[in-house]
Amino acid sequence: MHQVADVEVAKNIMDANKRLADKNLKNLEEKDIFCVDFVGAIGSGKTTLVEEIIDNTDYKIGVLAGDVISKFDAGRIEKHNVPVVGLNTGKECHLDAHLVGHGLEDLPLDDLDMVIIENVGNLICPVDFDLGSHLRIVVVSVTEGDDTVEKHPIIFQTSDVVVINKVDLASAVGADADKMVADAQRLNPNIKVIKSSLKEGTGLDEIIKVIEEAMN
Amino acid sequence: MHELSMAQGIINAVLETAQANNATDVNEVTVEVGRLAMINPEQLEFILEVLIENTIMEDAKIIFEEIPVEMDCNDCDFHGDAILDDSDHYAPLVKCPECGSLSVEILNGKDIVVKNIVIEKPDD
Repeated sequence: MHQVADVEVAKNIMDANKRLADKNLKNLEEKDIFCVDFVGAIGSGKTTLVEEIIDNTDYKIGVLAGDVISKFDAGRIEKHNVPVVGLNTGKECHLDAHLVGHGLEDLPLDDLDMVIIENVGNLICPVDFDLGSHLRIVVVSVTEGDDTVEKHPIIFQTSDVVVINKVDLASAVGADADKMVADAQRLNPNIKVIKSSLKEGTGLDEIIKVIEEAMN
Repeated sequence: MHELSMAQGIINAVLETAQANNATDVNEVTVEVGRLAMINPEQLEFILEVLIENTIMEDAKIIFEEIPVEMDCNDCDFHGDAILDDSDHYAPLVKCPECGSLSVEILNGKDIVVKNIVIEKPDD
């Protein structure tokens, strides 16, 4: 004979990631390191933005470059003479706090004052995974279409800053950059919105300024 | 889009609890999915069915329950369940039900929780 029993499990599948994200943040704060993570679609300009921040500030920066399988982004960043760790997720569509924790182990944290995390190109999945950063910046380009912001509300509702990039190409692709600005502000009245053309060098000063404001 | 890793986490939680309770079979699993978790329960169920083959939860019925979105409003003093405007989205906008503001702190509704399981086990 056997019996049937109802057993409570009460296990939050997201807790493990949250605990590791808190640990990453604590680890960074103990060393007075500010951490910013960039999310955004493939080709939105995340890697270029990381390169520009490295070249146009005096911070001692280390980079965790997320990618599904390739090492191209890490290779690009390496050329700017900063420590970089490529994080390959293999099959997953986002970085998680566990991978970031291991990446931090491979960075010379004692010599850094800023860590930049570049997430896998994706506007959906990273929403579910805190990494332990102080500031989340979402990068979106006009070439993705000017409905991209309104189509992905949660990442804009949960990020601190949005960079609307490649505005120099807006007319060529028939996109309205100001519509994207308005959509972001409607979805998240607290989000800071910056229009940029990293190719033409506009908007970068403002991006660096909001990072510095968040550091203080 | 990360249903596979979520499914593996759910199965690990179920099998750990089942083994700790000497279960011979798992008949039912209840999973709570936050309305804002970027997970599609249908896809999650599909991948769970593949992964539970040849385990003691192979024949389990998987029940999904929704976790509502709990919020604080930054513009008025409202605290409680949000209004979800999903007219255009599977992933909805989170709005204050009092003043309609989108300036909100999301307190709950992003998690995935294995709530309970119904098991068969030998008589004590």
